[in-house]
Amino acid sequence: MIRHLFTLIWNKKRSQALLLVEILASFLVLFAVMSLLVFKVGNYLSPIGYQYQNRWAVTLDWGSLPDSLADPIRQRLKQRALAYPEVQAASFSSGNTPFANATSNGEHHWNGKVINSFHFWTDDDFARTMDIPVLEGRWFNRSDAAVTIEPIVITQTLRQQVFGSENVIGRILVADDDPKSKSRIIGVVGNYKRAGEYEENSPGTFYRYQRDRWQNTLVLRVRPGTDARFEARLIKDFGNIAKEWSFAVNYMADQREAKQNQEVIQIATFLILITFLLINVALGLFGVLNVSIARRRGEIGLRRALGATEGSISWQFVGEMWVLATFALVLGLLLAGQFPLLNVFDLDAGVYLVAMGVSVVVIYLLVTLCAVFPSRQAAMVQPAVALHEE
Amino acid sequence: MLTNYIKIAWKVLLRHPFYTFITLFGISLTLTVLMVLTSFIDHLIGVHYPETKRNRSLYMMQLGIIDSTKNSRNQSSLSYKFLKQFVLPLQTPEKIAIVSDRMTTNSYVGSKRLRLGLKFTDAAFWEITDFAFVAGKPYRQPNVTNGDNVAVISESFRDDYFGKEAAVVGKSIEVDNTRYRVLGVVKSVPDTQLFTSADVYLPYTVPKSNYLTDSYLGMFQVIMLARDSQNMAAIEQEYKEVISRIPVPFVDNGFKAYHLETDAKTYFDTFANTQAGGPDIATFLTLVVLFALMFMLLPALNLVNLNVGRSMERASEIGIRKAFGAPITTLLGQFIIENLFITLLGGLLALGLSWIIITLINQSGWIAHLDMTINLTVLIVSTLLTLIFGVLSGIIPAWRMAKLSIADALKS
Amino acid sequence: MISLKKIEKVYRTSTIETLALTNINLHIGAGEFVSIMGPSGCGKSTLLNLMGLLDAPSAGQVEIGGQTVTQYRDKDLAQLRNQKIGFIFQSFHLINDLSVLDNVEIPLLYRAASSRKDDTVGPTRRQMAQEALEKVGLSNRVKHFPGQLSGGQKQRVAIARAIVGRPSIILADEPTGNLDSGMGNEIMAILQQLNADGATIIMVTHDETMAKKTQRLVRLFDGSMVGDSTLMYDV
Repeated sequence: MIRHLFTLIWNKKRSQALLLVEILASFLVLFAVMSLLVFKVGNYLSPIGYQYQNRWAVTLDWGSLPDSLADPIRQRLKQRALAYPEVQAASFSSGNTPFANATSNGEHHWNGKVINSFHFWTDDDFARTMDIPVLEGRWFNRSDAAVTIEPIVITQTLRQQVFGSENVIGRILVADDDPKSKSRIIGVVGNYKRAGEYEENSPGTFYRYQRDRWQNTLVLRVRPGTDARFEARLIKDFGNIAKEWSFAVNYMADQREAKQNQEVIQIATFLILITFLLINVALGLFGVLNVSIARRRGEIGLRRALGATEGSISWQFVGEMWVLATFALVLGLLLAGQFPLLNVFDLDAGVYLVAMGVSVVVIYLLVTLCAVFPSRQAAMVQPAVALHEE
Repeated sequence: MLTNYIKIAWKVLLRHPFYTFITLFGISLTLTVLMVLTSFIDHLIGVHYPETKRNRSLYMMQLGIIDSTKNSRNQSSLSYKFLKQFVLPLQTPEKIAIVSDRMTTNSYVGSKRLRLGLKFTDAAFWEITDFAFVAGKPYRQPNVTNGDNVAVISESFRDDYFGKEAAVVGKSIEVDNTRYRVLGVVKSVPDTQLFTSADVYLPYTVPKSNYLTDSYLGMFQVIMLARDSQNMAAIEQEYKEVISRIPVPFVDNGFKAYHLETDAKTYFDTFANTQAGGPDIATFLTLVVLFALMFMLLPALNLVNLNVGRSMERASEIGIRKAFGAPITTLLGQFIIENLFITLLGGLLALGLSWIIITLINQSGWIAHLDMTINLTVLIVSTLLTLIFGVLSGIIPAWRMAKLSIADALKS
Repeated sequence: MISLKKIEKVYRTSTIETLALTNINLHIGAGEFVSIMGPSGCGKSTLLNLMGLLDAPSAGQVEIGGQTVTQYRDKDLAQLRNQKIGFIFQSFHLINDLSVLDNVEIPLLYRAASSRKDDTVGPTRRQMAQEALEKVGLSNRVKHFPGQLSGGQKQRVAIARAIVGRPSIILADEPTGNLDSGMGNEIMAILQQLNADGATIIMVTHDETMAKKTQRLVRLFDGSMVGDSTLMYDV
C-alpha cells in the first residue's frame, strides 16, 4: 500500500510540485527558527556561573582627569564603600560587567590554536564579590603584583578548547603570533556567561586590574534588602570624595531582567511569526485537501467498490500527505544538512540536528492534523453516489 | 468589464465561506505583520516628533580617526573641541545644534531611585527641533553662555520625580549630586529617537558635562538645518572642504591619525550606518525588502496552492469564456484582477488589525514612549505590499486556469 | 449466488421521498449471465448498487453466497466486495495518475492480511495483474497510462481490474455504453468468455443487442420488476 501511495504521488509530481515546495519552505523556515530556539534553550540550561542578586555596578566617570590622578581617588571610593555595613564586598572591573552593553574580546594564539575569547580586567576581590567558584588553582591576589609574566585566570570552556583535560595551572603560555606576549595561568573558573542565561557559554580570560580608563566600574555586593536610600547616601558620599566625577548605579538584577526581556521578546516574536505561518500553512493544506477530495470522489467511490473500507480510505489520504511530506523533507534535510556540514554560523552540529528532528516531527504532525478531517470526509463519501456522478 | 470581474470575485468569495476565511486569514495576517514592520521602520527613520524638520536636516553622529595602514581606527561621537573648530563655523547651514550622547545616571527621591537619560545640548537644539512644551520654556543662549544649572525635563520624568501633573517650573531637581532648576517640561520622546530622546536636557556648559576635552573624539552629535534640499548638498560640500583642510597626520590622545572619517548625512543614512552596521543605505533597504519577500513567500505559496486546487470549480466558466473567444491574456487579466480584489480586501482587514496591534505595542511599554502610527508613508508602502502580494499569489493559478483546454474545461 | 428478497429503496431528502425500488425479489444462481434492462431512472443502477453492496436497501434482505449481509458492518462489506465481487463501469473509473498495471493491482492492495503473503507464497500482485491483463489482451500496454488508451482499451483494463482478485460475481454497469458497437462487441466477447470460465455476471444495459447475448433478461420499470425471462439462443 505504501508503495502504491509513493507511485501515486510520484506520478502526480507535476501537479503536486507546488504543494511540495510549500511543505519544503515551511520546513526550512521551521528549521531556521528551531535552530535559534534550540540554541537559546541549550544556552539557558547551562549555568550562568556567578551571582547577580544584590550586586550593583557603579560606573565612574572622571572626565578629563588623567588616569594616574584618578586612581588614588578610585581606591578611596572603594574603601569608603567597604566601610558601610551594607557593602559586603567590592571589586573593580572593566566596564564589561555582567549584563552591561560593553564587550571586549580578542584572539588567543595558543598551543597552535586560535580561540576567540572575552577579556575581563578585574581586581583581587572580583571572584569573591561575584561568587565565582574557582575550580582549579586560585584567583588573583597581592602576590601577583610583583610578577613579570602576566597572570591570567581562564574559564573552563577556554581551557577545554585549548588544552582539553591537561593540567594547566602554572603553565606559561607564549602567544604563537607574538613571542613577547607571555602569560601564566593561575586559575580556572567554571562558566562565566556575561550577557546572561541565553548567551552561549563562550571562552573568557580574566586579567588583573590595570590602572587605566577602561577599569571604570566598581562592583558591590550589598546586603540583601539594601535599597535606594542607601544608594543615594553612598553616591552623595562618593560625590564628596570625587567632586567633579559622575556616577551611575545599575543593579545587575535589573540589568539582567532587561536583557532577559529582550531575549524573550526576540524569541516570542519568532514564535508568534512561525506559529502564524504554520497555522496559515495548515489552513491552506486543509483547504487544498478538501478541494482535492471533492475532485476525487469518483476515485474514492471506485476504491470503495473494489473493497476499500472507510478506514483504508482515511488512511490513504493521510498516507498521501505523509508521502508528500516525506519527499519534501528529504529535500529539506538535504538543504538543512549543509548547515552542520559547512559549519554555518559556528553553531554546534547538535543544535542543527535537534532542530532538524523537531522540525521533521512538527511537519509530520502538521500534515497529519490537516489530513485527518478531510480524510474522514473522504471516508464518508457514498460510493453508490460518487460512482454515478460523472 | 472591471465591475463585472469584481462581481464575479465577490460571488466566488461567497460561494465557499470557509475557503474565503482561509484566504483572508492568510492575506490579512501576512499583511498585518508587514504593515506593523513598515510602521516600525517608518517610526525609526521617518519624520516624527520632535524632529519635524528631518527632511531638511543633516546629522553627524560619529567621527573616525584612522592610522596610516588603515588597520586601526578609533570611532566615537565628536568632541566640543572638534565641533568648535570645524563644525560650528560652517557658513551654509541655517542653524547648527549640538547635542550629547544619551548618558545614563540616577536620581533619588526618598527611597525611590530613578534611572534617567541625560543629554547636554546647546540653545539651538530647541530651535531646530519642535518639542512640545507642556509647561515652561527651553533654556536660551544666555543660560548656555553662563553655564547655568537649569534643565528641561520630560513629562514622564516629571511624573516620576514630582508626581503626576505637578506644577514644577522653577522647582529644582537633583541629578548626579547636582541641583538644577527646571525651566520647562516637554512631551516625552521615544527611546528610538537617537538624537533627541532623554529625560533631562541640560546646557552643555554645566560643570558636570566635562565638555572641554582635548581629543577630537568626544560625546557630541550634530543636527544641522538646511534652508532647502539644494542647500543640503552645499552643506555637505562645505563640510568636506573644511575636513580636507585639517592637516594630517596629527596625534590624538596618543593615537597617530592619518585619515579622518566624518560626514554630514541625512537621518536615513545615519541610521542605516550606525544601526544596521551595513555599508550603505542600499544594503539596508535590500535586506528589508528581501525579508518582506521571504516572509510573503510562504503565505503566497499557500494561497497559490489553494487557488490552483480550486480552479476546477471555475472550469466550466473558463470553458465558456474561451469557447466564446476570450484570449488567454484577457482571462489571465481577469483572474489576476479577481485575486487583487481579494488581496485588497485582506489588506483592508490587515490595516484594521495593524492599527490594533500598533496601539497595543505602543501601550505595552516595550519601548518607552513609543508612538508608532499609520501615516501616509506607511499607507503607501502597505498598499504596495498588498499589490505585490496579490500579483505574487495570483499569477500562477491564473496562468493554470487560463491555459486550461476548452474541451477539458467544458467536460467537467 | 445472489438473492434479493422484498427489496425496497427509498431516497429521502428533506422535502421529497423518491421510491427507487419496490418489492424486488430476484435470485441469481452461480454461473448465470443476467442482463437488466429498463428506461432511464427505472432503478437499474440502484439495483446493481444493492447487489454490489455499495448501498443498503431501505427494507428487505440481500444475500450473497448464502450469507445475509443486511446487518454487516462496513469492514465486512468491504471484504465481501473485495473478494467476491468485481465491478465494471460505463465511464471506466480508471485512476489517470496510475499506470495500467498499477490500476489493475488496486483490488489486491485492499486484501489486508493476505497482501504480504502474496509476495512469498503463490503469484505476486504484479504477476496476478499481468495475468488479468493477458486475459483481456492488453499485456503489451502495462506501462501505459489511461490517458494514452482508447475507450475499448480502457474498458478492458477495467475488466482486468474486476477479475484480478478472481471474484465469483462481476457487476457491469453499462460496460458498452461509452463505446462504439465494434468495441462493444469485443467487450461482450470477453464477458462471455469470463462467464464461460465460471463467473456470475450481472450487467445493466439499455442496448437490446447486447442484452440478447446474455442468458437471462430482467426488465425493470419505475422501480418494479416487470419481466424475467430466460433467453433461448445461448452462445
